[in-house]
Amino acid sequence: MTAVEPWQDWRWNAVRGEYEAGVSEPLQGTGEISAIDAFSNRTMLLLGCTGFVGKVLLAMILDRFPEVNHLVIQVRRKKKLTGEQRFYSEVLPSPVLCQIAERLGGEDEVRRKVQIVEGDVNEPLCGISSEQIAQLQGKVDIVVNLAGVVEFDPPVNESFATNVYGVQHLIELVKLLDAKLIHVSTCYVAGKKNGRISEDEPIEGYFPKHSENGGATFSVAEELKWCEEVIQDTGQRSGADPRQVRERLREAGMNRAEHWGWTNTYTYTKSIAEQLLAGTPGLQYAIIRPAIVESSLRFPFPGWNEGFTTSAPLVLMGGDGLKGWPVRKDGPLEIIPVDLVAEGILIVIAAVLFRKNKRVYHLASADENPIMLPRLVAFLGMNSRYKHKHKEGGNRLANAWKAYVETQVITVESLHARRARIHRGLDVIHAGLTLGKTLLGETRVAPYLKSLRDTRRQIRTQEVTIDKFLPFMLYNSFIFETRNIRETARMLTSEDLKRVRWDPETIDWADYWVNIHTKGIEKWIRPMFAASRKSRP
Amino acid sequence: MNKAAFYDLSGTLLSCNLVMTHGYYARNDRSLVKSVYQLSKVLLSVPLLFALDLYSRASFNDYSFRAYRGMHRDRLIGLADDLFEVTLKPSIYPQAQALIDTTSDLGYRNILVTGALDFTIRPIALHFGFDEVICNRLEFRNHVATGRVLPPLLAEDEKARRIRGYASQEDIDLAHSCAFSDSSADVPMLSTVGHPVATNPTRRLRRIAMQKSWPILELREPSTSLPPFLRAAKVV
Repeated sequence: MTAVEPWQDWRWNAVRGEYEAGVSEPLQGTGEISAIDAFSNRTMLLLGCTGFVGKVLLAMILDRFPEVNHLVIQVRRKKKLTGEQRFYSEVLPSPVLCQIAERLGGEDEVRRKVQIVEGDVNEPLCGISSEQIAQLQGKVDIVVNLAGVVEFDPPVNESFATNVYGVQHLIELVKLLDAKLIHVSTCYVAGKKNGRISEDEPIEGYFPKHSENGGATFSVAEELKWCEEVIQDTGQRSGADPRQVRERLREAGMNRAEHWGWTNTYTYTKSIAEQLLAGTPGLQYAIIRPAIVESSLRFPFPGWNEGFTTSAPLVLMGGDGLKGWPVRKDGPLEIIPVDLVAEGILIVIAAVLFRKNKRVYHLASADENPIMLPRLVAFLGMNSRYKHKHKEGGNRLANAWKAYVETQVITVESLHARRARIHRGLDVIHAGLTLGKTLLGETRVAPYLKSLRDTRRQIRTQEVTIDKFLPFMLYNSFIFETRNIRETARMLTSEDLKRVRWDPETIDWADYWVNIHTKGIEKWIRPMFAASRKSRP
Repeated sequence: MNKAAFYDLSGTLLSCNLVMTHGYYARNDRSLVKSVYQLSKVLLSVPLLFALDLYSRASFNDYSFRAYRGMHRDRLIGLADDLFEVTLKPSIYPQAQALIDTTSDLGYRNILVTGALDFTIRPIALHFGFDEVICNRLEFRNHVATGRVLPPLLAEDEKARRIRGYASQEDIDLAHSCAFSDSSADVPMLSTVGHPVATNPTRRLRRIAMQKSWPILELREPSTSLPPFLRAAKVV
């Protein structure tokens, strides 16, 4: 039990910020689309189910729509584990799925419904064997693709392999299976823009700097050619050192993205993938663009999270006591709980199966119920206050400081000034310690030098993380319009709406952030970060 | 039919009261200057609150909630866990958890019925493991507290009315249910159930309990003897 709702007839109106009288009425839909009918006796092929959104989506299908009688799930082989072994040893026992699998009647019941095919989107036809494709042909009604490299700045070849070539392979597969396709992208394909982002923007030939230099044109073929050339060039020039090659490729991707106006390699490659879909004649598809996906609101339980590339690093840094936050005072953070994303995807699947879908769906919150950045900064401060007041170890003076000083919204200039000050201070300490080393001998000073090195490394990681998020909290301010998903959700039947709904306007952000999201991150993500830090040499 | 155990909070399960919770928020304002200003306001209001408490519990509550006027809801929710650790948890009576565990072992649904506010109750309810909470909520305009409570204010007769409403909705047999409170203001609440227990009673409630031959329970002492209906059921 994470939520304690008092037994009363008051409802929180998150948009107006006040309580309203009356119990909420059951939702009514027009019934033009019936999700239950759409899912009855259908076969779905899911790709990328091992990820954060994928697992929640799979759990939701199993839990809410027992009508789906056949799920084909593509799982990549991992070292010695076959796809099937990996699914039953890694995916099914995860906290999201284990309880639901138990409720269904255990692993055997899941095996009856689920078919695992081994494959890899990086290979032609997604690496699915020709016998299996022959078996699936004409049976699969819809393919849902959640596979992708979500890291912001990977080496450009890795990002292209999965996010671009992977989608090419996917399109071939979908054509061969004669199925419909749902592709999960991201809202941030919009690039460096401000204000309201429409869902009706043309996809093909899109690049964010379009309005600035009208002369340039963007074509997928050109980008593919560029990528191949870069990979070849970098391989030749940098010689054998693979580390250097990776670094060069990382830079190349970020520079190319910057050139066209995207925030990073991830959003750049995701946009190319969308353009590939839009450029394929005869393909029946819908693109789903979630914003920043965060801890679950209700399903499978409040606070479930395993996403690394979300606001988790920021929340953890806030909890560790970072005080100055360079954010926009008038901007929202476009976040959306993962279970709402899964519900949105299910609604769109139903619409596609009924052929009543739109082309693009934004899944975001700020259009209806924005959470402003300064409010989040205040939450981070209160969390740090709580943690440091009750912290056992560490420097007591530092803890007291972190417990009683509130977080602040600062400007970018002030951020740079603060950084310079800290580095100057550390330099002075370093000089002092070096002097001490010559006077007092190495053994006495060495531990202090080591802790200084650690502090420096920590500060540098912090700076890199903040810089990575600056486009989303300072330089750009987006509101993604979500008209399409609202309209489609209203077309469902009332029976469907008891199982899935689209209702970000009801999220009580204070309760969500403090009691669900922050606690979820502390519980699920902090151990993951600690483990990954330890495994690094 | 189900049965339930209705608990009052302050004075019954812990010694902390409304003024102390408000004092916490006052001294943890955004800056030191604001904290000092808010805290001195609270201290000045203490004598007035004492006088009001003697006169009527409802008007006491009404006045004490006014101190929240102007506070942002984010802050009230964001500091609730710290409030619990700092102010509420240390004031829990030694036998409180044992009593709640006993009633839940005996099949009672544990329900907290209190005049305190929803955000302060949340960590308490999780700590004790309550199944349901009936409490007050502040009124907000654009996320800022107006200093009023959403009507009807939960106190005295209203507690009894809400318990009856809850019982009829959730199919609970009040004659086999029990209630725990420390204050004579909760006599209506105690009277609605078949097994009322005067818990750490005030002098006034002790007198009433003796007249009506209600059992008296002390949670402040390290060991305590349970009232007969809880013991008898346990043997069965």
